[in-house]
Amino acid sequence: MRRTLRFTRLLLAGIAAGAVAACSAAPTVPAAGDAGTPVSGGTLTWAVETEPITFNPHQYAQAKARLLVWNSFEALLTHDDQGGFVPWLATGYEAAPDGLSYTVKLRTDVTFHDGEKFDAAAVKANFDQLLAPNYAPAVAAVQLKNLKSVEVVDPATVRINLTAPDVLILDFLASPQGAQVSPKSLRQAANLKAGGVDVVGTGPFTLSAYTPGQQVVYQKNPAYQWAPANAGHTGPAYLDKVVYRFLKEPSVRVGALTSGQVQLIEGVPATDQELIDTSPQLALHKQLNSGSAYSYFLNVGHAPFDDVRVRQAFRYAVDVDAVLQAVYRGTATRAWSIVGPTSPLYDKGYEGRHGFDAAKANQLLDEAGWATRDGEGFRTKDGKRLTLRLVQSAPFVRDRRDVLALAVQAAVKAGAGIDLKVSVVDQGTALKAFEDDQYEVFDNSRADTDAGAALNLLLASTGAINRTGYRDPALDALLAKGQATGDPAARVQVYHDIQRVVLTDQALVIPLYAPADQIAASRGVGGVRFEPTAGVPAGAYGIWIAK
Amino acid sequence: MTAVRAIARRLATAAMVLWAAATAAYLALLLAPGDTVDSIIGDGPDTPQIRAEVIAEWGLDRPDVVQYLDYLARAAQGDLGRSYLMQRPVAELVGEHLPATVTLAAAAAVTGVVLALAVALLTAGRRSLLRRGASTTELVLVSTPGFLIGIVLLNVFSFQLGWFPVSGGQDFSALVLPALTLALPVAGVLTQVLRDGLERALDEPFVVTARSRGIRERAVLARHALRHALLPAITLVGWLSGILLGGAVITEQVFGRPGLGQVTLQAVTTKDMPVVLAVVLLSAAVYVAVSTLADLAYLLVDPRLRRS
Repeated sequence: MRRTLRFTRLLLAGIAAGAVAACSAAPTVPAAGDAGTPVSGGTLTWAVETEPITFNPHQYAQAKARLLVWNSFEALLTHDDQGGFVPWLATGYEAAPDGLSYTVKLRTDVTFHDGEKFDAAAVKANFDQLLAPNYAPAVAAVQLKNLKSVEVVDPATVRINLTAPDVLILDFLASPQGAQVSPKSLRQAANLKAGGVDVVGTGPFTLSAYTPGQQVVYQKNPAYQWAPANAGHTGPAYLDKVVYRFLKEPSVRVGALTSGQVQLIEGVPATDQELIDTSPQLALHKQLNSGSAYSYFLNVGHAPFDDVRVRQAFRYAVDVDAVLQAVYRGTATRAWSIVGPTSPLYDKGYEGRHGFDAAKANQLLDEAGWATRDGEGFRTKDGKRLTLRLVQSAPFVRDRRDVLALAVQAAVKAGAGIDLKVSVVDQGTALKAFEDDQYEVFDNSRADTDAGAALNLLLASTGAINRTGYRDPALDALLAKGQATGDPAARVQVYHDIQRVVLTDQALVIPLYAPADQIAASRGVGGVRFEPTAGVPAGAYGIWIAK
Repeated sequence: MTAVRAIARRLATAAMVLWAAATAAYLALLLAPGDTVDSIIGDGPDTPQIRAEVIAEWGLDRPDVVQYLDYLARAAQGDLGRSYLMQRPVAELVGEHLPATVTLAAAAAVTGVVLALAVALLTAGRRSLLRRGASTTELVLVSTPGFLIGIVLLNVFSFQLGWFPVSGGQDFSALVLPALTLALPVAGVLTQVLRDGLERALDEPFVVTARSRGIRERAVLARHALRHALLPAITLVGWLSGILLGGAVITEQVFGRPGLGQVTLQAVTTKDMPVVLAVVLLSAAVYVAVSTLADLAYLLVDPRLRRS
């Protein structure tokens, strides 16, 4: 996950219990509970874990800040819960038969909060800005790498031309970075990259006040009439006002909720989920995220993981279920593939495969020449211990992944005599370790709405975070094919092939758990939902407070 | 004339301290593992194209010495640069968060000092149960991590009793618990030092003289012994400013308060150089100001120092 900035861990790891949650994979639109039928009015106070680095959606990089984006900004498309798209600021789109251009029809009844009209020129202005130098280099280099040009066909139509077929462009049109910012903001905002009250969108709320380090306040946009078809209702939002408090400490968020100081929190620690589930005043909602599962990636660039048998042995040596149970008390969902279980690209056939098997692990290690043991019980070969280094960057450790690593360390030592060395270090030290190839295990999960986008970065030879060092033209060809294939069924087949290469043929990855989000709410709060596909808490548009 | 010279010398020393602090911080950040481009990119996608843009945007292709001199030149003109992470001018960022931290630190300092004075005066020189109880409590407070005090106070007074909010609203009630969290360990140390000073002063001959004049014990303590006990306590003022800034990091985090502590923590962990440097400069400036004030306070408390 990108830049999920959790600096808290560093200092307060002892007291804070981060959370991973389990849940059913079914799309969740929780029942209203005791909140009855929707009513308008009122102010909701919502304690969130992460303060955004920026309020400009083009610069969005924190998955945990996504729930704020869609309050005041909107995109051309949005995701449905089947892996498809629903028009939002667009009314529809059409792909050219060769996949090299997309014609997007736009709504004509939309205005930005500053009174600017939303039209094709505004869409083009947003694309132009994204490609401007020193503005959003990551977007230009990744999501828009196949973009050739954007044409205004007429005020209600734009054509997006590509240099190569790329179905992920639709995912971009539904992403926060693809959200539409008022052209006037783009021209005049005092601090465009940071965002603020003068960087505006078209959403159901307007950002009205931001107190850094403390809270951000959104006011209802009374003129709002363009919710997407799957938003649950139409017209202006129910709430008059939403206050998001930044409370980084999980235990403090839970305390604020149970004492009634806030009505809603996200990020519920595993240790508190039972308390909330059994409380008559509170309701707990959970949903798995999209993207890639939290996995260990094995560095094949040097010994010992240049030998596929050692990679397989490491995987067989980890009793993932036991480890997850120990750390997350049954609230985590085990992952079986690098692709998250809610993705349409997920291959269900991997469930139960390549699981824990200590005997097999030991047999493979014996075969690979790691047959002797040293005084501490670790396996050795030619007098060298079987040591694997996992380097974690402290600012990005979440869900108690540091603790999880220690549990894995104990498991592989006991099960197969493998010495897993875990170090939690600052970002600079971690990056240096990756650059100098001083690691054997790399851990990561990504929250991309399309798992294909995550795999491009993690698996392609030139992938920006390909830290397995595995470079295979055949796999690259599959990834390129996956990005170019418009037909959903054919695309799923491509990604099943990719999962076979990664999981069965090469044993490059050890999937551990599927990241999830949790919301806990007072019973009087209705309409709590998660974003379809993304599986993260949705904005406040559908929420109401019972009178 | 001498006063002007003294002031000029003070200012020159202050400038030297600031320069030294900025340079030391600059070197430390330069020597820390990982380069600046990596820090700016974070754990997002990293391609040659992205790197090139980042390098161009921040002028990172210039030699380190040039970047350092450029920084100093700008800082001397009051331009602290732009935050790598927050994409905003550092002065604006610091200015936004500074008042909250100053309010918190001032409230904590006043609370800590008042508490320490009261407890020390009440318990000094007695072999009572009260003194033993107070002394134990102080030790516990001094050795308890700040976040634990914060969480306990929150649990009792906010979550259970509902007297104070956890955060939000810049009103007074939201300040009580954070200020107390920060003040309690400070009060613990100060009380120990003050009481020790008081008790030592009570053994001095001048106390016997004062008592022989028939002055009441309370007045002996407050008027005569306290002056002597204050000197070592004032020496701790420099330490106090450090503790308050350091403690603010934790306190602001736990209570979800805005402030420099959170900014500092974020900047240090992401190697956001301009922000770290600004905070270092600010801390150095505060330290210089506080130690100057402490020097003046010595003169006020101890007449002997005025003559020399």
